[in-house]
Amino acid sequence: MTAGAPLLEIEHVSKYFGNVIALNDVSTTVEDGQVTCVLGDNGAGKSTFIKILSGVHRRDEGEIRMAGERVDFASPREAKEAGIATVFQDLATVPLMSIWRNFFLGSEPTRGVGPLRRIDVDDAKRTMREEMRRMGIDVRDPDQPVGTLSGGERQAVAIARAIHFGARVLILDEPTSALGVKQSGIVLRYIVQARERGVGVIFISHNPHHAYPVGDRFVILNRGKLQGSWKRGEISRDELVQMMAGGAELDELTHELEQELQKSQ
Amino acid sequence: MRRVLQIVLAALLVLGMAAFTAGCGDDDDGGDGGGQEDVSLTQGRDLTIAVITHGQGDTFWAVAKKGAEQAGKDMGVTVKYSESDNDPQKQAQLIDSAVTEKVNGIATSVPSADALRDSLKKAVDAGIPVVTLNSGQADSAELGAFAHVGQDEEVAGEAAGKRLAEGGSQKLICVVHEQGNIGLEQRCAGAKKGFGGEVENLQVKGITDISTTLTEIQSKLESDDSIDAVLSLNPDIAVAARDAVRGAGSEAKVATFDLSGDVVKAVKDGEIEFAVDQQQYLQGYLPVVFLTLYNTNNNTVGGGLPVLTGPGFVDKTNAAQVEKLAEEGTR
Amino acid sequence: MTNPATTATPPTPPPTSVVDERMARVSLLTKLLRRPELGALLAAAAIGLFFAVTTDEFGTLDGAANWTDVASTLGIPAVAVALLMIGGEFDLSAGVMTGTAGLFMGILATEVGMDMWPAILLTLVAAAAVGFINGYMVVRTKLPSFIVTLATFFVLQGVNLGVTKSITGTVRVDGLADVNGYDSAFNLLGGSFSSYDYRVSVLWWVGITILATWVLARTRAGNWIFGVGGDAVAARNIGVPVSRVKIALFMTTAVCAALAGIMVALRLASVQASQGVGDEFNYIIAAVVGGCLLTGGFGSAVGAALGALIIGMAFIGIQFSGWNTDWRYLFLGVILLIAVLVNNFVRRSAEGARK
Repeated sequence: MTAGAPLLEIEHVSKYFGNVIALNDVSTTVEDGQVTCVLGDNGAGKSTFIKILSGVHRRDEGEIRMAGERVDFASPREAKEAGIATVFQDLATVPLMSIWRNFFLGSEPTRGVGPLRRIDVDDAKRTMREEMRRMGIDVRDPDQPVGTLSGGERQAVAIARAIHFGARVLILDEPTSALGVKQSGIVLRYIVQARERGVGVIFISHNPHHAYPVGDRFVILNRGKLQGSWKRGEISRDELVQMMAGGAELDELTHELEQELQKSQ
Repeated sequence: MRRVLQIVLAALLVLGMAAFTAGCGDDDDGGDGGGQEDVSLTQGRDLTIAVITHGQGDTFWAVAKKGAEQAGKDMGVTVKYSESDNDPQKQAQLIDSAVTEKVNGIATSVPSADALRDSLKKAVDAGIPVVTLNSGQADSAELGAFAHVGQDEEVAGEAAGKRLAEGGSQKLICVVHEQGNIGLEQRCAGAKKGFGGEVENLQVKGITDISTTLTEIQSKLESDDSIDAVLSLNPDIAVAARDAVRGAGSEAKVATFDLSGDVVKAVKDGEIEFAVDQQQYLQGYLPVVFLTLYNTNNNTVGGGLPVLTGPGFVDKTNAAQVEKLAEEGTR
Repeated sequence: MTNPATTATPPTPPPTSVVDERMARVSLLTKLLRRPELGALLAAAAIGLFFAVTTDEFGTLDGAANWTDVASTLGIPAVAVALLMIGGEFDLSAGVMTGTAGLFMGILATEVGMDMWPAILLTLVAAAAVGFINGYMVVRTKLPSFIVTLATFFVLQGVNLGVTKSITGTVRVDGLADVNGYDSAFNLLGGSFSSYDYRVSVLWWVGITILATWVLARTRAGNWIFGVGGDAVAARNIGVPVSRVKIALFMTTAVCAALAGIMVALRLASVQASQGVGDEFNYIIAAVVGGCLLTGGFGSAVGAALGALIIGMAFIGIQFSGWNTDWRYLFLGVILLIAVLVNNFVRRSAEGARK
């Protein structure tokens, strides 16, 4: 491990699907305890970006380094073991299962050996409650099905779970896109708490208003290409919004419409 | 809470109605206790006879059931008729429940002696007399029954085969509709012996799926036009065979075992050559009589030999007389 | 590591304990109502009580031997099918599998000349192989398991008849009682005990239900089964080996069906080629009556066992009642419908009672 190296470095990564260039020479960095926001409209390549980082796809070009060392994930399991946890938008939890079962799905704590090996239910419930408390939620009933929680609370479960299992990089795929205003605010608070605990967060969104308050670094993807990369303070919220909303095209369109209006008068 | 009440009430209502209609709608084997109104000659005897067959709700066994129920009425005893849907385990379980009910007699068909041996032994050990019917003639005594009522299948098969050969047929298919029934296998074996010419067995889907059976027979006829005789082993199958012959445009003669209203009518109209009648009405009727007499008078019947109910032949010469009875479901 | 305080990010609010008013304290009653088996238990109690009161024999130890008999051979595969349904899949070949297993064992014992026990073990291995094929095909083709196992059903049905006929010349395998080792096998698997003649299969059924319940509630595998059935994609993303879990479930279903088939064959000392066809739906009904969702992710092994018990009680109860057996299936259907409705109602009120 190279001292002082950033947690995650993505350098000149490209990905092709047949003829389609999904990602074209994209580079960015993620540091411990910082939030890197990856913004872009639909189809910009954000989901391909996550899938490469989380091990679902393999990159065709470029290099990815974790703490200075090259990494190459062949499967989601490998990425997870390396410490990259991905929380997908609607596929984070199993609604019919209880909170504690969801929390420990795939990594259940056990006691006993051989055929008597069983889940340590008390430990699991206790740990889950503790982790959720650190996110700011007091879970009174660990057996409650996750499906009865609100969207934001479910995200909290997924985030708390990822952090608990040693995620060094937490990738959040559009966590606020399906939520209302209040719920979105709550999720942003969880993101900040994750950051507080030293995790490097990659926050994917197409909503610059949500990204701006929590981001330390902003990256905009447009049609697979890196449109720009700024540190906090290097760009204002309005600039960010304008860049994202395809500001130049909008200006042109407004201009054209005004001209049409004048002509018809 | 109200919803729970509603559901419970609805359930009770349905179950109550069912029990009520079951009890009255069929006045042959209502709940417990003998004594029906139309029995005037014999006083009501407090006996219950269980009649258990491997039927599948088909017309053949419906006639036997009628026989059993009529015998119950005539003898003044309660008859409980059940079918196992050709499932030997179910039949064993039905016999076991009859033993639990401490019935006064068990009449059962024996499509598979091995399968029923244990349960029948339990019945005999419990002091319940047993009569076998329809199938299992060879094993009847060993299983503990004191009489067997049925038809010697091989003998009947031979007679049928001979008749078809005498009618000029040269190639016969024997349509087997039931799996695992020795009796049916014996019929075809006997027919082969009596026919002398070429005989092929054709396994078909069976009574539970007549349309598929029809298609299977028809395809067989269409693929081999040297077939000039079709022997079926069940009245429902016979009707399907007749339709299949018609559908295939074949000249084959159709003959069958066992009667039904449709079969008799077809015999009358010349569509079916003849039907071998094992008189299954008697197979339901007589065991009930024998078991009742065993209980009341310690009588046994047969002297170690089976009580034969067939073969009888129904052809154009006597079809008209039999027809009326067949329509009533007693032949 | 960059200190977040040096950049102009808004200060982090201290994590206060946010008490969400929706996460209320849950009463014991609600916990009870939430259990998937409760509906089945109530239905079983109601049906049992009904027949015990309206007939003389049903409520006796003698009568109980009869209805537990029917329940047990249904219940052993039903519990496995329930696990499979919780995992999100169906197996329509489970019924005919009982016949295949019995015939396979019977042919090995009577035609190939094997002793009983080696034949039994080989049959179980063969069943596991069939289960593996089922699971592998479902996982590979991603077709609905309903379709894949329906194909297996037809294949096995044809094999049952065709192979039996070509080897034995008849449609049945007989004479198992003469095989070496039959007696011990019969005593352990196919026989009965006590003066009331309770079948040994009942003990196996109870044991398997307990084992399945333990697996579901207390082991990692059980958690995985719920996860895979509830949301396979989420489970896969979190690292659960979804394919392996599903294949394992198909294998246990096939083995349990085979075990039931072996028990029937030993009991009857013979096997009919048509054995088991149609039972696959009874297993599914038992599982659904017991609380399993058709869509997966929810259910219980005890529930399926209770469902099988209900079917057994209904069958024998109708016998004892002396109702016209022409209507037997109508009654069976009505009783099962009531059981499912009760179950549904109980679950709905449990979800409502959460408030």
